[in-house]
Amino acid sequence: MVQSIDYAALAPALAAAIGALLVVLADLAGAGRRALDGLTLLTAGTGLATVFLLAAEGASRRTFCLSGGGCSYVADGFTLLIQGLVLAAAAIVVLLSSPVLTGDRLPTAEYHFLLLCAVTGAVTLGAARDLITLVVALEVVSLPVFALTAFPGRRPGGAAGRVAGEAALKLFLFSVVSTAVTLYGIALLYGVTGELQLDRLAAALARAGPGEPVAAVLTIAGFAFKVAAVPFHFWAPDVYQGAPVPVAAFLSVVSKSAGFAGLILVLAVGLRPYAETWSVLLGVLAATTMTWGNLVALRQRHAVRLLAWSSVAQSGYILAPLAIAHREPSLAVQATLVYLVIYAAMNLGAFGVVTAVSRRYARNELEDYRGLARSAPLAAAALGFFLICLAGLPPGLAGLFAKIAVFRAVVLGGAGWLAVILAINTVIGLYYYLAWAVRMLGVRAGEPRLAVPFPLGVATAVAAVVTVGLSVAPAGVFGLVPLALPLTP
Amino acid sequence: MDGYLGSYAVLALLVLAGVGVVVVAMTGARLLSPSKPTREKLLTYECGVDPVGEGWAQSYVRYYVFTFLYVVFAVDAVFLFPWATIFAAPGFGLVTLGEMFVFLGFLAVGVLYAYRKGALTWV
Repeated sequence: MVQSIDYAALAPALAAAIGALLVVLADLAGAGRRALDGLTLLTAGTGLATVFLLAAEGASRRTFCLSGGGCSYVADGFTLLIQGLVLAAAAIVVLLSSPVLTGDRLPTAEYHFLLLCAVTGAVTLGAARDLITLVVALEVVSLPVFALTAFPGRRPGGAAGRVAGEAALKLFLFSVVSTAVTLYGIALLYGVTGELQLDRLAAALARAGPGEPVAAVLTIAGFAFKVAAVPFHFWAPDVYQGAPVPVAAFLSVVSKSAGFAGLILVLAVGLRPYAETWSVLLGVLAATTMTWGNLVALRQRHAVRLLAWSSVAQSGYILAPLAIAHREPSLAVQATLVYLVIYAAMNLGAFGVVTAVSRRYARNELEDYRGLARSAPLAAAALGFFLICLAGLPPGLAGLFAKIAVFRAVVLGGAGWLAVILAINTVIGLYYYLAWAVRMLGVRAGEPRLAVPFPLGVATAVAAVVTVGLSVAPAGVFGLVPLALPLTP
Repeated sequence: MDGYLGSYAVLALLVLAGVGVVVVAMTGARLLSPSKPTREKLLTYECGVDPVGEGWAQSYVRYYVFTFLYVVFAVDAVFLFPWATIFAAPGFGLVTLGEMFVFLGFLAVGVLYAYRKGALTWV
């Protein structure tokens, strides 16, 4: 029988996919660089509009359902939050890319096509409610990013194509290995239960009783790779450094959000009966991720590498609430989502200023930021604010509120040891974020004004406005996130 | 031999036995056999034919066009075959036919793009 498909529920994913196709056709018709930028932005905007329309409608839509219940694609509050986050972040990344892709013979259309393909995957991932859709969506996010990483363009470190190729190959190898491990875990889960839909899987696992923790651990591995959690983080610094800066921003926000969405879905819906097992595991994972990320970040002298290690550490903070998911499931997911949203805004903003500086200093070392407060006061003020937010100090209240949300969840969930590790790590983080911010106030003679291209300025300003908004009125995100719960399988 | 990991113990034993057989056979041969190497004996064995040239062979990068087209049309075929078995069955019809052409349209755009960018020309 022909399935009836609810196209309204699919609208955000369809918008991104059709946009990708249109970009290719527009390039064949001879559209210029600016037109392609505009088309990609328009696609992200259309996607966002459909997300808002679906959110305004209120009811959750579901499609691709089995006759015995259980749907593969659900557009509920959680889905729409992730999709909105991913699409907004993608729009910012397009703005960041525009001044970087200025070479004459650069295949700009292919860049935008690959970007929109990855976005399609991320949008689908948020809505996926069965294991196969989850893995396929995760791969759709990953595959275009391999090519984007190797994309010719301005790079930090004066890196030539070789470094980019090496970065892309590393990302590829790590990704396929971790996907293989995840597939093995999924095969075990399917072998034990005979179910793929997450809610039916949970019911079957609850009936079967404890017995397949190995399968659960293996399934988590692929998602841990995507979010660069220690010990699956090895690719992150090299890939961020070798890739064009906007692609690094994409990896650290869009691809990471998609990874967290998948992780939350698999853990909180599919593997709910094993919460006792995986929450301990996630606690250890979060603690090692934040500690290792912060300790190595202390020694970095390169701006993008520092952001890479900082984003590893931030992954640790985002993972931490999941360690108490067996006691307070909705509180845990809520704290994770709050941190994810705030992290996306402040990290994209920091990448915006780093992109601007990388246009003058190809090597993009921290020393190159000395005197930025004189040569580009607005950019320096913005970067300072984002760094203070990432550190979680006032006046960067957004970052502080995010940390408080995580602390509150961890303490209420009774994981005191993790709260102590969180506190220690916050202090370690202060050092390298503040050292970078203070460097900008230094004096460097004869430094001409740094011109910030218009799209970069807009992108950074949008990130700044959102972050300031979240600092002044955090109720926005704290109010939005509970709407995303409870997760409907 | 019980419990979840117990069933893997047999597998582990089998792996150990396999490794043991290889180790015993190779060490036995090394200890027992006389060793009188000549030049002919040390040559690479290639089905009895004298080895010619080096082990390093080059293939033309331009054959990638074949690979490219193969991948495109193999993907077509993978989805076309199962579709072809059911699209005439009752309950399916014009919608099913249309859906397949939407899919083929996506691939066609890709081929068209590659053609227009000159990726399919023989260099």
